[in-house]
Amino acid sequence: MRDLPIYLTMMLAAIRAKMEYRVTFLFLFFALVTFYLGQLGTVLVVIDRFGSINGWTLGEMAFLYGLMVFSQSITTFFFASLVNFEGLIMQGGFDRYLLRPLDPLPQLIASQFEVSSIAHLVIGVSALVYGAAGTDIAWSAGKVAFFFVVVAGAVMIQGGVRLGVSAICFWTMRNRSLVHILVFSSKEFILYPVSIFNYWIQVFLTLVFPLAFVNFYPSHVFLNRDASNLLFSPLIQYATPVAGVVFFSLAYLLWRAGINHYQSTGS
Amino acid sequence: MSEGPLVVVDHLSRHFTLTESRPGFWGSVTGLFSRATSVRRAVDDISFSLEAGEFVGYVGENGAGKSTTIKMLTGILVPTSGTVRVGGLVPWESRRENSRQIGVVFGQRSQLWWDLPVRESFDLLRSIFRVPEGRFRENLAELDDALELSPLLATPVRKLSLGQRMRCDLAAAFLHDPKILFLDEPTIGLDLIAKDHVRSFLKRINQTRRTTIVLTTHDMDDIEALCERIVILDEGKIVYDGATESLKRRYVREKGVVVEFHGDPGVVTLPDLPTVRVEGEGAKRRFSVPVDSVGVATVIAAVAARFAVKDISIHEPKVGEVVKRIYDDPASLTRPEPGP
Ligand SMILES: Nc1ncnc2c1ncn2[C@@H]1O[C@H](COP(=O)(O)OP(=O)(O)OP(=O)(O)O)[C@@H](O)[C@H]1O
Ligand SMILES: [Mg+2]
Repeated sequence: MRDLPIYLTMMLAAIRAKMEYRVTFLFLFFALVTFYLGQLGTVLVVIDRFGSINGWTLGEMAFLYGLMVFSQSITTFFFASLVNFEGLIMQGGFDRYLLRPLDPLPQLIASQFEVSSIAHLVIGVSALVYGAAGTDIAWSAGKVAFFFVVVAGAVMIQGGVRLGVSAICFWTMRNRSLVHILVFSSKEFILYPVSIFNYWIQVFLTLVFPLAFVNFYPSHVFLNRDASNLLFSPLIQYATPVAGVVFFSLAYLLWRAGINHYQSTGS
Repeated sequence: MSEGPLVVVDHLSRHFTLTESRPGFWGSVTGLFSRATSVRRAVDDISFSLEAGEFVGYVGENGAGKSTTIKMLTGILVPTSGTVRVGGLVPWESRRENSRQIGVVFGQRSQLWWDLPVRESFDLLRSIFRVPEGRFRENLAELDDALELSPLLATPVRKLSLGQRMRCDLAAAFLHDPKILFLDEPTIGLDLIAKDHVRSFLKRINQTRRTTIVLTTHDMDDIEALCERIVILDEGKIVYDGATESLKRRYVREKGVVVEFHGDPGVVTLPDLPTVRVEGEGAKRRFSVPVDSVGVATVIAAVAARFAVKDISIHEPKVGEVVKRIYDDPASLTRPEPGP
């Protein structure tokens, strides 16, 4: 923690570096906002047509979506450099993080700023506000506090996915296809309430690849939904922070082991 | 801190498992479990040690294992077997502490921030290594003086030429006063003047600050100009480790004396020195002197006594020629030396 100011300085430098390419920056920002508005729009149109999905109303769905995108924006802010970790490994660029008196992971976190995290933030907050307005949630102080704890847990789960998938690179060099499937395409699973899937997929999304904790379970708390039919125990609606800590720790262990397997490159 | 060598390398090996990586999702999944593999012994059981203040040339042909060794000494790679101690630390176990005492330059790859001006990279390194402001300014002034950095400081790294970038990278490796510098081809792609700058800079810090320097290069003139000691690597094994001078002495049984006469002396012979060969014709002749049996001074005296001499130059053999002979025939090093 003593090193925190250094990491902040590095992050600011990364932002300045991105600003060197101002046009790309703005272009990307608007492209992403448009893409996500489109995604959100599709969900809303579907619900508008059917009234509700598996008992989730329009506002509730927007909240579910908002929680996913909001936590994703923070995940992207922190773990952007892990998306193309394969490139860093293949070109030996990871070398330099091992040659400084700092821990490699926070250095990586501070090494890249991703414009899409701001785009996600805009979309996520809009969806959350829309969802909160469209339902009658009573926002007690406790709920607000729990919201931030849940977001932290959700970030740890999504960050853990990225970290674990990156760690695999230390052994296989390549992970691009895993990134596409586990980091990006997997989002489709939690676009809708996980309860629409069959039992085993729900178990998978809870115990193995715990994306259900990102938005589905904790939404029951915020939306005062009936939790008695949830997997295992109604308490699972509160378990996101625990799931986040456990999952991220496992990913971090894999990562630590991976670093000692780092091969660098021949040239 | 314990006395004794600054760097100790003991039976160090690093093998690489070469695999066929299969493309696609299933490729990366199945790749986790089964692969067709073969093993390359990039570094194969090497041992040596370095005293503080030494300037060592680490040479060998492409793929000999030089960079791999440096990566283990700097903590990037974990070896397959063997141990290393750098200033008492095991580099890959204490990466953070180790990084404070070493400076590293990989000529092929910059450690600087690609999109930021050089000056900002330096500032970042200052915070990262916690260099006190005053010390930082002193170092930067000295580096600027030696490497002419001032005109480059405001330029983003990606806009620098190779030679300019290399000078900045060298400076960057030195900002935190490392005890040891590991330089992996720091003169690659430099023009003659830039090489000269870099060489005199390295010589100076080695002498004035007693910085220990390990230099990998394919330019034997670098070695000739800088390194008192040379370690030669061949297919992952050390084939020579010793003084650069004695390597030359061992290999070089002949020196050349080139003499320019006033006019063509005709047939030149030295009847008293039958082992000295004479080559060439006209006013300029070359005498090959077998140094084991005849002194160069004797030859010069004998020539000067018989002919009108205008100019004399002595050709010392170059390390490069010697090393090339070793590359061509590594076994020649272990063959018993021929008697005088
Ligand atoms: N990351 C890696 N994966 C697989 N093989 C490697 C790797 N790094 C090095 N090697 C192999 O190990 C051997 C030694 O490589 P190294 O880079 O140490 O050579 P070098 O002496 O630095 O050569 P050069 O003069 O060309 O830089 C080579 O055969 C190389 O192919
Ligand atoms: Mg090399």
